Amino acid sequence: MTPPALLAALFATSLAAGTAGAVLGLGGGILLIPVLTLFFGVDLRYAMGASIVSVIATSSGAAAAYLRTSLGNVRIGLFLTLATVSGALVGAGLAGVVPVRWLQLLLGLVLAYSAITTLRQLHVELPPVVEVDALALQFGLEGRYHDGVLARDVAYHATHVKRGFLAMLGAGLLSGLLGIGSGAFKVLAMDYLMRLPMKVSTATSNFMIGITSAATAGVYFARGDIDPLLAAPVAVGVLAGATLGTRLMGRLRNTTVRMAFLPVLVYLAASMLLHGLGVLGS
Amino acid sequence: MSARATVDRIVARALTWGGLLSVSLILGGVVAAGLLGQLATPGHPAEIFTSLGDIRRALALHPPHALAVTALGLVCLLATPVAAVGLAIPAFWRDGDRLYAAIAATVLAMLLVSLVVSAGV
Repeated sequence: MTPPALLAALFATSLAAGTAGAVLGLGGGILLIPVLTLFFGVDLRYAMGASIVSVIATSSGAAAAYLRTSLGNVRIGLFLTLATVSGALVGAGLAGVVPVRWLQLLLGLVLAYSAITTLRQLHVELPPVVEVDALALQFGLEGRYHDGVLARDVAYHATHVKRGFLAMLGAGLLSGLLGIGSGAFKVLAMDYLMRLPMKVSTATSNFMIGITSAATAGVYFARGDIDPLLAAPVAVGVLAGATLGTRLMGRLRNTTVRMAFLPVLVYLAASMLLHGLGVLGS
Repeated sequence: MSARATVDRIVARALTWGGLLSVSLILGGVVAAGLLGQLATPGHPAEIFTSLGDIRRALALHPPHALAVTALGLVCLLATPVAAVGLAIPAFWRDGDRLYAAIAATVLAMLLVSLVVSAGV
């Protein structure tokens, strides 16, 4: 493939990854890294560099739109980012000390359990009215958005804040230890533990992943893992895709978003379990 | 306009303008590289920039290294979320939300610490 044709192909792939990432609250790394390495023959190192750029591009593109429509919640995002970033800092410090395979196994089991739970609540459009949590009141973890599909305003507030915060701390710790993004865990903790509407969870996760990734992006840049010519079509494609994704989100039900999230969970769980068992190599 | 809406608007604006500035630089660099015949194969880099100093030196060459403009755009993109958190601090403070001004400041401090510690910036 000539460089211009390759740039166009990379742009198209990233457009798809950005759209999916914006709807699902993920950076698109789990889609981009395998495609870049397997189909485009890119070295894993540069694929990971492009992936971190993709996470931030998805976040910048999608979060801006979600904040305007009040789907994304800055306060919930910042509050939980406190947990993920501190977890990630500790995790990065512990990397190499804790056995990775056991962690992968543990993570795989948690994800498999989450996939089953998600499957059980596939039909739940909005979480039931939840008890008021004192911490949620204290930190203002609540909001309201207009749901175009339901044609009404939806008010929500978080519950089980302590559990959600601890889960985020754990997610940050694991992402620091294993060098993985943790968009999926952020969504799970907000949707399942804190009982926020699914669309609010993925939109707020979009805001958070940009901040957490910015902490590690500098490392990739300084290490020379970011190839400008590879990252360019990825960044532009993902930003355009994220814009498309946010428009699409306005027309989706919470249940549809959750249904689209399920295969991602299953894939992640299987991948972690297989790595942990040594089937895929660590 | 409520305090919540003001902060959201400021953060959203920072993310939008950061994204637009980054994309303009990224695309400008790639187009210029194409015109100057400096396009390598994506994923097989001929040139890697690992610091702002690298980028500045590449721009000072004759002719300048066009992809340094793209790299500058990528740096802007990576800095965008950090800038958004930074701008949220005075926005919360002005709205009398000291708690969230402190939370945003703590997040920003942790981001900067992790950048300094891990990247040696």
